[in-house]
Parts: sequence; C-alpha cells; structure tokens
Amino acid sequence: MHLDEFQLHQPESLPEAISLAREFAGQFDYLAGGTDLLPNYKMHLNPRPHLISLDAIPELHRFSPDQGDLGAMVRLREMEGSAGLASRYPAVAQAAREVATPLVRASGTLGGNLLVETRCFFFNQSYFWRQSLGFCLKADGDRCHVVPQKEKCYATFSGDLAPALMALDARVRLMGPEGTREIPLTDLYPRDGDGIRRTSLRAGEVLEGVTLPPPVQGLRSIYLKLRVRPSYDFPELGVAVALCQDGGRVSHLRVALGGLEMVPRRMDALTDPLVGSQLTGESLRALGEAIRSAVRPVHNTFLAPDYRRKMTAVLVRRAVRSLTEGS
Amino acid sequence: MTPAASGEAPAVPHRLIGARVPLVDASLKVTGRAEYTDDLRRPNLLVGRILKSVHPHARIRKIDVTEARKVPGVAAVLTGDRYPRTFGVLPMTHDETALAVDRVRYIGEGVVAVAAVDEETCERAFARIRVEYEPLPVYDDPKVSRNPVAVKIHERALRDTNLQKEVFQHFGDLPGAWRAAAHSVRVSARYAGVTHAFTEPHAVLAEYSPDGRLTVWSATQVPHYLHRALSEVLDLPMHRIRVIKPEVGGGFGGKSDPFPHEIACAALAMETGRPVKIVFDRDDVFYTNHGRHPTWNTVGIAADALGRFTALDVEALLDGGAWSSFGTVTTYYNGVLAMGPYQFPNFRYHGARAYTNHPPSGAMRAHGGTNIRYSVEVAVDMLAEEMGWDPTELRLRNFLPPHSTTVNEFRITSNSVRQCLLAARERSGWREKFRALPYGQGIGIACGFYISGSNSPIHFTPKFPQCTVHLKVDMDGGVTVHCGAADIGQGSKTILAQVVGEVLGIPLDRIRIAAVDSDTAPIDIGSYSSRVTFMMGNAAKRAAEDLRRQLVQAASDLTGYARESLECGGDRIYVRHRPQVGVSFLEAVHRAMEHTGALHASGSYESAPMGGTFKGARAGTAPAYSFSAYAAEVEVDVETGFVRVRKVWAGFDCGRPLNPQSVEGQIEGSIHMGLGQLLSESLNYRGPRLMNPSLLDYKIVMPQDMPEVECLLVGEDDPEGPFGAKEAGEGPLIPVLPAVGNALYDALGVRFLDLPITPDKVLRALEEKERREGRLSKPAPPAVMPVPAGGTDHAPR
Repeated sequence: MHLDEFQLHQPESLPEAISLAREFAGQFDYLAGGTDLLPNYKMHLNPRPHLISLDAIPELHRFSPDQGDLGAMVRLREMEGSAGLASRYPAVAQAAREVATPLVRASGTLGGNLLVETRCFFFNQSYFWRQSLGFCLKADGDRCHVVPQKEKCYATFSGDLAPALMALDARVRLMGPEGTREIPLTDLYPRDGDGIRRTSLRAGEVLEGVTLPPPVQGLRSIYLKLRVRPSYDFPELGVAVALCQDGGRVSHLRVALGGLEMVPRRMDALTDPLVGSQLTGESLRALGEAIRSAVRPVHNTFLAPDYRRKMTAVLVRRAVRSLTEGS
Repeated sequence: MTPAASGEAPAVPHRLIGARVPLVDASLKVTGRAEYTDDLRRPNLLVGRILKSVHPHARIRKIDVTEARKVPGVAAVLTGDRYPRTFGVLPMTHDETALAVDRVRYIGEGVVAVAAVDEETCERAFARIRVEYEPLPVYDDPKVSRNPVAVKIHERALRDTNLQKEVFQHFGDLPGAWRAAAHSVRVSARYAGVTHAFTEPHAVLAEYSPDGRLTVWSATQVPHYLHRALSEVLDLPMHRIRVIKPEVGGGFGGKSDPFPHEIACAALAMETGRPVKIVFDRDDVFYTNHGRHPTWNTVGIAADALGRFTALDVEALLDGGAWSSFGTVTTYYNGVLAMGPYQFPNFRYHGARAYTNHPPSGAMRAHGGTNIRYSVEVAVDMLAEEMGWDPTELRLRNFLPPHSTTVNEFRITSNSVRQCLLAARERSGWREKFRALPYGQGIGIACGFYISGSNSPIHFTPKFPQCTVHLKVDMDGGVTVHCGAADIGQGSKTILAQVVGEVLGIPLDRIRIAAVDSDTAPIDIGSYSSRVTFMMGNAAKRAAEDLRRQLVQAASDLTGYARESLECGGDRIYVRHRPQVGVSFLEAVHRAMEHTGALHASGSYESAPMGGTFKGARAGTAPAYSFSAYAAEVEVDVETGFVRVRKVWAGFDCGRPLNPQSVEGQIEGSIHMGLGQLLSESLNYRGPRLMNPSLLDYKIVMPQDMPEVECLLVGEDDPEGPFGAKEAGEGPLIPVLPAVGNALYDALGVRFLDLPITPDKVLRALEEKERREGRLSKPAPPAVMPVPAGGTDHAPR
C-alpha cells in the first residue's frame, strides 16, 4: 500500500493555518500526530490533496496541567508521564497511557485523539477489501453494512481521552475562519451526530486546546478501558468516572463513555439523581444497569455488542468502587 | 612447527553441544544488518504487484489488459493463460496456478501480475484492467461439502462433492472395544482458522539474465520445492534456475509452499528481462494464508475398569479453502497424531477436508497435531473426572513405553513423556492446587507429542537423501558450510555451526555458514515437519566426521602418533593421553591441503524405512518423536471473562537439547503462539469474506500477556538424533492449549470447546452455568490423588 501524493503545508501560526484552510476548503485535512490519519490515507480512506500540519505552531504545544491548560498538539507521551496531570486529573493521564502503543503515543496528540476518526470493521479496510464488498457510506459508497440502510453511519467513536476529559468538565477552544469559540467538550460531539457527522466543528476550524477546571477539593477520577489486548487495541469500551463525596454523600458524579457508540457521551441524566445520596452496593448496581440499558453499541468492533453493554455496567461499578475505596 | 610447542593444552575439551550459544546471526539481526528479501536491490529493478480477485467464486469471462499495457512506466502485464501449468507442494494434488486461469476461487486470489517502475504505476495499470466475471455459487461451509454441488470448486474434488480428501482408518475392533468399555467419553470441539502472523511479509525478487538463467531470491522455508515448482511451471531446467534464500523473518509453515507470487514474479522477470520484486502488504499475507485449518472434530475415548485406554475414535472435518496445499497430509495428521503419547489398542479415524471459497489453509506450526490434541487432552481430563481419578494418574497409566510400536505401526524410540509429566506435576505444585484453588483460579495439565521430521520426503524421484551438507576448508583455516537448510529464524545455522564445531573441536568463529544458494548448496528438503535439527544435524555431523578423519590423518603425519590416539578440541588436534602434544587446527589444515590444495567433506542423512503397508501408512511416521507435558495455572476475571495465564511449567523431551537457550526460546515462542490460538486469534469469516486481514484486528498475544514459563528439559538422548537430539520447533506448541483449557475447567467448571476462548464466550458460558446450576462452583476433587512424585530421576537438566 502506498500513500497518494499530497501537499504538506506547515504553517507557523494559527491565523496562517486558518487562511490555508480557507484556501483549500474541502480539499484538506489538518495533520496532528498522523498515527491514525496516515494509515487511513494508505487505505485510501477519504484522502485529501492537502495536509495542513499543526506541528510548527508553538502555542499548540503548551502543556500546563497545573493551570488546566493543554494545547492540542501535546503528545500523549508527555501527558502519560506528567506527574502534575496525574495528580490533578488522574483519569486523563490514565487514558493517555491506555492509547495504542508507546510508539504511537510518541507521535499521537491530545487533539488527534479527541478528533480521531470513528472506526468500523467495514470501514477500516484496504481499498481492495472495500471494493470487494461494495463501498460504504463513510467512504466512496452509499450504504451501511452494519445496519443496512442509506442514511446513517454507525462507525464507533474510538478515542480514549474524550470520556476522561468529559468526566472532568473539560472545555475546548476552537479557532476558525469565523473566529474563536469555547464550548464544553460534550458539545464537540453532537448528540444527533453519527459516524460521519461526528463533531460540531465548523468548516476550517482547528481544535486549539483543552481547558480543565481546577479540581474541587476531594475530586477523584479514573479511566477504565476494555480491549482484547493490553496494548495496541482501540477501546471496545472506555469508562471515565469523576466523583466527589462529602461526608459519605455524593456531591459530584460524572460518568462518560467512549468506544461504544458513534459519539462519546456523558450520562448526566442517570448520575445527577445520585447527587446528595449515599452510594450503596444497590444504588451502584442500579446505576450500572441503567447505563447498560441506555447504550446502543452495534456489531462493528471485535467484541460482540451485548458483551460490551454488559461490560459497561461492570466497568462503571468497578470505576466507582475504586474511587470510593479508601476515601 | 614442533608439535609439542603448538599451543596450550586445554584442561577440558571445547564443548559446543549443550552450551547456551547465542544464535550466530543474532548480532546481525538486532543491529538491522541482516539482509531480508526486501533489503535487496538490483540495477533497473521493477516493482511487481498482483491484481487480486474481488469475487470468492467466479468464472473469468474475459480479461482485457490492453489499456493497462499502455500506461507509461508499465513494463509487463501478465495473465494466467501464459503459464497455466498447475503446481502445488504435494505432487499428488497440483491445483494451483501462478495466476487464475478461467476461474477465481477466493477473495484475494491473484488474477493479473504487473511489473512497472513503481507501485503507483502498477495501481494505475490495475485501474485500466477490465476483468469480466460471471459469479458462481459460493461455498463457505465445509459442513455441507459432502453434499452434491452445482459447481465443483475443483474438478479433482471427490465424486460430485467439494471434498478434497477423505481418510478412513480402522485398527483393531473399535465397536467391540466400545461395547466392552467400563468408561467412555465423547467430546466435540470447533476451532477457528488461525494464521502464522510472522513478522516479514512474503517477498520475492527475480532476475532473468541474457544467458538464459533465472535467479530467484525469496522468503521461503522450502527453497528446493520452490526450485522444482519454478522449473515445472516455467518450463526451465533446474540447472538454469538459481534459488537463493536470504534471511527470513519467520515462517511457521506459512512460507512452506511454493507460492503463485513467486512464480509470477519470475515470469515477469523473464518477460521484461529486468529484475522484478514483489513484496506483500500485510493484507496480501492474510489472503495467502495457508494457516491452520478451521476444524470441527469429535474424539471418543474408552477405558476399562482399571483405567487403561481401550479405544480412540476420531472424526475431523477441515476447511481447506480454495486449494489443496498440504491438505492431504493435514487430513491424515488430524487422525494419526491423535494417539501418541498414549497407547490405544483400537483406533478408528474418519477425516475429511473440504474445498471452500476461503483463502487456502495449509501447514502451520505443529501442523495437524494441535486441534486434535486439544480435543484428546480435554477428553482424557473428562474421562478422569468421570472415573474419579486424578488426570495425571490416568495419563501415567496409559503412556506409550519407549521403544514400542503403536497400533498404526509408528515406531517409537526414545520417549520421556513420563518424566515430562512428573516434572510438570511436581514443579507446579499440582497436588496442592488441583481442584483446591479458589473459584476462578485453576490448574490444568496436558501432554503431547510430535514428529521429529517426517520420515517421507515429499518427492521420491529422483531418489536422494533428505539432507546433505558440504564442508570446504581453505588456507585461512575457516570452515565453510554449505547446506540447503532454511534458517527462518529458528536457529538452524547455529545448530549447523555447533555440530561442526563440536566434531572438529574448533570455536564458532572458524565456521562460516554459507547462504542458502541452490548453485552451491546441496539439497535439504526444507524447514517443515520439525526435521532440520534431526536430519541436517546428522548430515552435518557425518560431514564433519569425514573432515575430521582427513585432519586427524594430517595430525598423525605431523606428530607421529597413531590416528586412534588423537583427539580434536580447543582448536587443536592432540594426543589423548599427552594433551600437551599436538598440532593446531590450522597446522593440520595446511598439512592436509599440501598436495591437494583443497579440503572437502560431505555428509548426508536418509531416514530408515518404517511404517506399515496400509493406505496412508507413511503419514505421521518419523525417525523420532518429541514428547511433552505442560501444567498451566490460570486466573479468570469472572465478571469480564478475561483469562490470565499465570504460569506454564513446560516439561519437554527433545532428547538432548543441543542449545538449551535456543530450545527455551522455541518453547516460550510456542507458548506465545499457542495462547493466541487458544484465547484471541481467529480468522473471522463472514461468508467467504475475511473480516480481519490486519495485525490490528487479528489478535496475536502481546508480550504483557505472556505467562511466566519454566522449561523442564527432561529428555534422554535419542538413539538416532545428532548427539541424541530431537525436535523442539513445533511440539512445544501443542500442550499449552489443552493445559490451559483444562485449567479453565478446574477454575470455572466449564469446558470450552469453541476456540478461541474470548472473554465474551467465557462470560456467556458462566451465565449459562449459573442459570443451569443456580450457582458458580468448582468441580469436585477426584477420589484418587497422585502419590508424591519423590526422587530426582526426572530432575531437569
């Protein structure tokens, strides 16, 4: 397999990047670590003739976990090794460590992982393979092989950092031809989106960075990942939990899930009612079951969807339990 | 040159056999200096690519390559009709062609080969090739292959079915034994197809020179069979073809057939007069497959009231995919390798292999002996439980003795399976752990055996030894070893050097292993069936002994001592009872060459005739067998179904380990590979389509998942192996699967009979058990516990 030719642009400032984006509208991808994008290009999955690298833009590399300020181009390796990040936002450091392999993490970035292409075993295949079956909605075709229809793509969101950051109420800064905006990370992933319309980014917008609120006193967090092998594999399920207890009662609880559906999501409607209550084995079990029945994975990853749903309940319970132990 | 003055006498003779010698090419490999086929460059090199079939089964109505030929940079476009002669690794089942002729039989089969200046140009040419297909009925389920079919996948399939091969064997009186049995069990299991997942993808470089000679460099385990296939299909005499095997990054059976792409590449080189190289992408490797057959088997074992096995009844159905490959052998092996290491007076086997529209299955490490062994060892465990016996005791009661004959006339020589079992049982703490660990944790044990070199070469004519080794010594005192044996990473070059160095008493740095090059190397029939250490080792030993005779004569001439009183060691030839008297190796070499200018020696190995006279009697016969017994301890996360193998105690009988470090590497690597098949690897087909042709989606085990491995090398010297050695390349894989399978039963009370045992399957089984029994609990301990093993007669070396 070979990469088709593309033109690489290496702007040194955000305004320069955005003006390139305007110039090559619809004909480019932003390039961060490239660990996912370039293999996809090799498989001829929606390659574009222009790549706008973000690597030469200094401010995107800023890394101040103590201020909760992370540039989009921070490498996952830097995040996983950061004591500051691990002490303030443990779930984020854990999620960074759980991504792929050390080699991938040396190139892979925070922004790249948040915007990583959705995955599906009908999509992540060579051109030859897809040609043999018939192309799908997500690349070169007009139908879905997972759920046979022609409207919606069911590819699975496969980043690890999004659930961890969502559980910690992260916000993202976006810069584009129409200006700068800051939105909650949860809003980056539209609830009515699908495997193709997977973010609320506007044309030409760059994910500039992530801000995390300072952790409130007693806030604990954790990220648990389900995958067949302890390395390499994308998540079959990722569960992030942030919990704060006050005198045995829940004062703050967030559960966010990735690797399961087309977009990552936070389960506030199911966790908010627990605020103010005492966590018991019973309420924890009920929470796990409620989340399990709320999620809808499809069969487009290695492990069967019914199993992944069951594991959602198990990992949610385990995550909360490990945060309550010793507190 | 006074004999007494030449060098210090060694206190102990130099010893290479049994030493922990690092592989002789390790430094080249770890520094990236070793040359693999893709590293090779030739002037004016073209890139070859193969257009693959998008259909699983279709007639080719028409191929139009006119426009493709016009693409600038394209040097040749080749279709199947140019070289339509069939070939295959087994002479009886030639059903492959270099490129599809009239019909495609699986998704990924080669249809058109293109040579061009680069890969992009090849792809541009592909886009201009028009192939008109007429789809045919697709057969992807071997279970219906016995039924009459509308379109046979191959005309040579049996009757009006898609069966490629059927085997019936019956020894003794199975129905009678079954009726008389005091105990019996029957177990049916299903095995997903798995593939080798070696590191280096297939790669070949071919060049045809103006003097009419063809040179082919290829990542192959079988340079000689490739040589023959090239000659047959391209219609060139063998002496005008030169096959060179560069370094090979793993094979495991996946490079042990002559392959269509090798022939197509040579044909492109002949067509263009320019060198052409084809390097596979990883998905090409998956489509080429030739991995372990998807298998359905049933095993019945009967025993008398004293716990002696009386009958073994085996059925196996194999999904062979689109071609025969080694399939006839596989079909036999799945039955005949079911018996050892146990004694069965009555045996029946019915095996069948189906053609399907899947990529071809073939030979994979522990070929034909892996899936059936899992079923047999699980059945033995079940039988022990039914009888209330400890499963180690039941096994001890039934082992084949050394120097015996099986009911199907396998000649068994050295056999330390008993010592393997006792060592694994003792070291693992079996008595304290079996049925006694907490729920979710367990220990299991299983045995195995494997051929140490197939006794029958694949080709009989012309008649020639299975391996020959030439040695050449020159004035510099270096010993050059020529041999066609293919080191594919398993370390056969190191074994060659150790054997030659041992016999001649010289250090390894004097020994130069020449590249495998058919112009200079005598034939070895290939790295398959775990034959190389045994057969090449014997040939090398004989060659070195021949050379030693010549050098000892020279030393005798120099020292005046009789030949019989001289010894080789420490880079010298010296007088045994006066070690300070002697000559250096180099002095002996110079003397021996004085009047000839050349010093050559040869040795070869040919296995003895053996086996019965019934149909298929040769299958599974070998000049020796390795034996094994592994214990494995597991831990299961009962909420998620994830299995962790904590430790494996690997009792293995490879005779005398020539290089224990290398043997341990083979055992550890085998356990890694076996655990993959057991826990996570599978070629996932949806109909005819392979869903996971990548190393991301085909789940080989990661280093983090490797258990601790304790190797217990307890074999005794084999009477015919070189220095007493037997194989250690394939046999070590076999017992780990059932040992872990039986450990899972001990942990959970569930028998897993559908491989791989992925976490979702574990969880489903636990849920079913809980629904059925109302709770989760361990199986009951047996009434008969093993007596303490005691003694040191089975202590590891």
